[in-house]
Amino acid sequence: MANVFSRLGGWITERSPGLMPMYRKHMSEYYAPKNFNLWYYFGSLAFLVLVSQIVTGIFLTMNYNPSAAGAFDSVQYIMRDVEWGWLIRYMHSTGASLFFIVVFLHMFRGIIYGSYKKPRELVWLLGMLIFLVLMAEAFMGYVLPWGNMSFWGAKVIISLFGTIPVIGGHLVDWIMGDFLPGDATLNRFFALHVIALPLVLLLLVVLHLAALHEVGSNNPDGVEIKKGPKGNRWSPLAPADGIPFHPYYTVKDLFGVGFFLLIAAFIIFFAPTLGGWFLEHDNSIRANNLVTPSEIKPVWYFTSFYGIVRVMPAFLGTAVWGVLTMFAAIAVLFLFPWIDRGQVKSIRYRGTGFKVGLGVFVLAFIGLGSLGAGVTDKVFPEWFGDVDLATWDNNFGRLMILLYFGFFVFLWAYTHFGWEKTKPVPDRVTMHD
Amino acid sequence: MGNEVVDHGRRRFLTAATAVVGGVGVVAAAVPFIKSWEPSARAKAAGAPVTQSLKKIELGQQLIVSWRSLPIFIVNRTKQQLAALPGQDPRLVDPKSDGSSSAQQPKYAQNEARSIKPEWLVMIGICTHLGCVPTYVGEMKPEPFDPNWQGGYYCPCHHSRYDMAGRVYKDVPAPKNMVIPPYHYVDDMTVQIGVNPKEAS
Amino acid sequence: MKYFFPVLALTLGLLAGSASVQAEEGHGSELMSSGASVRDQASLQRGARLYFNYCVGCHSLKYMRYSRMAKDLGLTENEVMQNLNFTGAKFDGPVISHMPPALATKWFGKAPPDLSLEVSAKGADWVYTYLNTFYLDPHSPVGWNNLTLPNAAMPFPLWELQGMQTAVMKPGSAHQVEKLELSQPGRLTPAQYQQATRDLTSFLQYVSEPAALQRHRYGVWVLLFLAFFTLLAYMLKKEYWKDVH
Repeated sequence: MANVFSRLGGWITERSPGLMPMYRKHMSEYYAPKNFNLWYYFGSLAFLVLVSQIVTGIFLTMNYNPSAAGAFDSVQYIMRDVEWGWLIRYMHSTGASLFFIVVFLHMFRGIIYGSYKKPRELVWLLGMLIFLVLMAEAFMGYVLPWGNMSFWGAKVIISLFGTIPVIGGHLVDWIMGDFLPGDATLNRFFALHVIALPLVLLLLVVLHLAALHEVGSNNPDGVEIKKGPKGNRWSPLAPADGIPFHPYYTVKDLFGVGFFLLIAAFIIFFAPTLGGWFLEHDNSIRANNLVTPSEIKPVWYFTSFYGIVRVMPAFLGTAVWGVLTMFAAIAVLFLFPWIDRGQVKSIRYRGTGFKVGLGVFVLAFIGLGSLGAGVTDKVFPEWFGDVDLATWDNNFGRLMILLYFGFFVFLWAYTHFGWEKTKPVPDRVTMHD
Repeated sequence: MGNEVVDHGRRRFLTAATAVVGGVGVVAAAVPFIKSWEPSARAKAAGAPVTQSLKKIELGQQLIVSWRSLPIFIVNRTKQQLAALPGQDPRLVDPKSDGSSSAQQPKYAQNEARSIKPEWLVMIGICTHLGCVPTYVGEMKPEPFDPNWQGGYYCPCHHSRYDMAGRVYKDVPAPKNMVIPPYHYVDDMTVQIGVNPKEAS
Repeated sequence: MKYFFPVLALTLGLLAGSASVQAEEGHGSELMSSGASVRDQASLQRGARLYFNYCVGCHSLKYMRYSRMAKDLGLTENEVMQNLNFTGAKFDGPVISHMPPALATKWFGKAPPDLSLEVSAKGADWVYTYLNTFYLDPHSPVGWNNLTLPNAAMPFPLWELQGMQTAVMKPGSAHQVEKLELSQPGRLTPAQYQQATRDLTSFLQYVSEPAALQRHRYGVWVLLFLAFFTLLAYMLKKEYWKDVH
């Protein structure tokens, strides 16, 4: 039996010249640093979720009806009448949120270990593009069930473009193809969500991986293993601190996959709405263009950016500033490799200022998120009694925006003027476990 | 690092065990996706039994009703049409419906007229060749496709022919007799399609 | 790495905290805890009986099929068709009220909503509280009012079970309700009535998501299987990584 397989394998590789070299380049002879820790699971997990979203998404399209009249009913049809439809939908809806959790952690890993720095700037830029497309993909997917949150979410987000001077008003109509989100909007979002953006996403993922494997993986010590000594037990020419991706990281990632699936399955089977965080209560109400949900807010993964829009004031007669600030908050992330001038990559050997600054940045991100999710509206009265909520929210939100952008200003100055006191970076990677 | 001897047996066992368990998991995960293609509850509800009164179907006439989106032919066969049935046997592929067509009807309709009561034909009007709906040609007169026509069905797609009991003639593309659905008589002049007599009682 | 778990714990803590805040949010008044559960089949059956006796006259459950309900609630086709289905609908068909929407609009000001997704949209506690906070209100056109949904268009359908509650106003106020008092007892004791509304809420929770029963049934096995797989993968990883350490 094994012989048959190996002969079949041989037969195929003889006839496809690129296959074995590709396998060697990306798997068996891709030498990754041997000191990856927990943070390094999230890349492969993101890929796993991507595959799962594509498969479950394809099966959802088989029963989904992209029309204003039929979308909401067709979701209930999937949930009730299609055999196992509920599982497929919950996998997809839970997958969307888990995708962002994994991607946020993956990005944070890149920041704490300086994975965006030379020579990996392109890897970071491609990753940021993936993040951007993913946000568009998630937003459009969120509109498809045509619940009341879908409808108003679509309306509010599209209206953001209306704040652009001169062309804004027309742009909004152009995006919706109507004067309110309707059939035309739903149909174009469906087309973009199920085919156009996934294609772009896949292409970007391939480029992201290709770019990574060209320069090699970073690691928790931020040591360039390619510049270190050569020769390990697998190859005399490979970096001494590298190990073949396959089998070592494939089996390690397999363990990560198992653990991740445990968490995912728990949510899918026992808490698919996760208390209204993954699937919102108000989306169980059919889209109604006459009644805005009393607590309108985006899904949790957009709340940090939405929080910015919520608290930025209009002046000079336009509300474009909130939108500009929001896009700036995303755009500034692209510039990480050039804002951070520090030579030391890993947080393990960086100065205290970086650690504190990053902590503040994370808190600002979470703070804006809780503002955008409406958590502060509940928490402030509970903590501080009868307060003027609007003012508190505004002041809190603006402070968080200041800290968010302040981090980047500080980071640039901190590294540019040589204020950072780093610890010596070891020559070789270190193993802790 | 890594100076101890590798235990290849343990390694191979664990690899195989993980691969098998993982494989089982992938197969199990595929099941819901495959099952989701089964007719949904809505399709099954639409496929619920259909009850039809026979009162208004005149002698020699055919009525078509829909059951599970399939055309159901209900024919009030004349004495002459019934009398002509045995005479067709030599020209048919499976006149007794006990050969290649043995699964084309419930046991209670496995007879010369392929019905519960001889005069009433209840049949799924789908050609067994490629699924077209054959035309009812009830009159017993010479036809261009058969100078000796004794009434029956003629398929417009590839010219398959059936007799008045839906039995297929020799030398046509269709291989089998047309299908008789499960049905039973609710009363003398009412049939219910989709339910066997036994299930109804 | 060493900060990962503290940070994770903190994040989860914040999330859980805000989730509980989310759950506590009131809609006009404090919500009672319903204690509804779709795991208690007897309760679901009692709830179904209440629904089909008191509610279905006006409120459809258009996404719910009688046949599915029979299967999930452990009832036979005959039981459902004779005891619950009063409209002569098909067994495979959905639960549709016979009330014509146009007439309903005339009587109540608006058509009674479909309740298929009521618990998904409002939460079980809200439904339970709503059913327990009707009170007599002479100022209301229907004679009834509700603390949870002020100026509800629906007259209280379960009054013969609960009896009639009247509002006790806060001292010195004509509109702020302090509490409700049972001024005329109904057929059920207060405890029995609470159980009845709990049953009804459980039933509506089931109707909101019939798949919940399947989720719970299969979920345990999926988790056990994945735990086993993860353990194997962990051992495999340990075995291979002996080369590296």
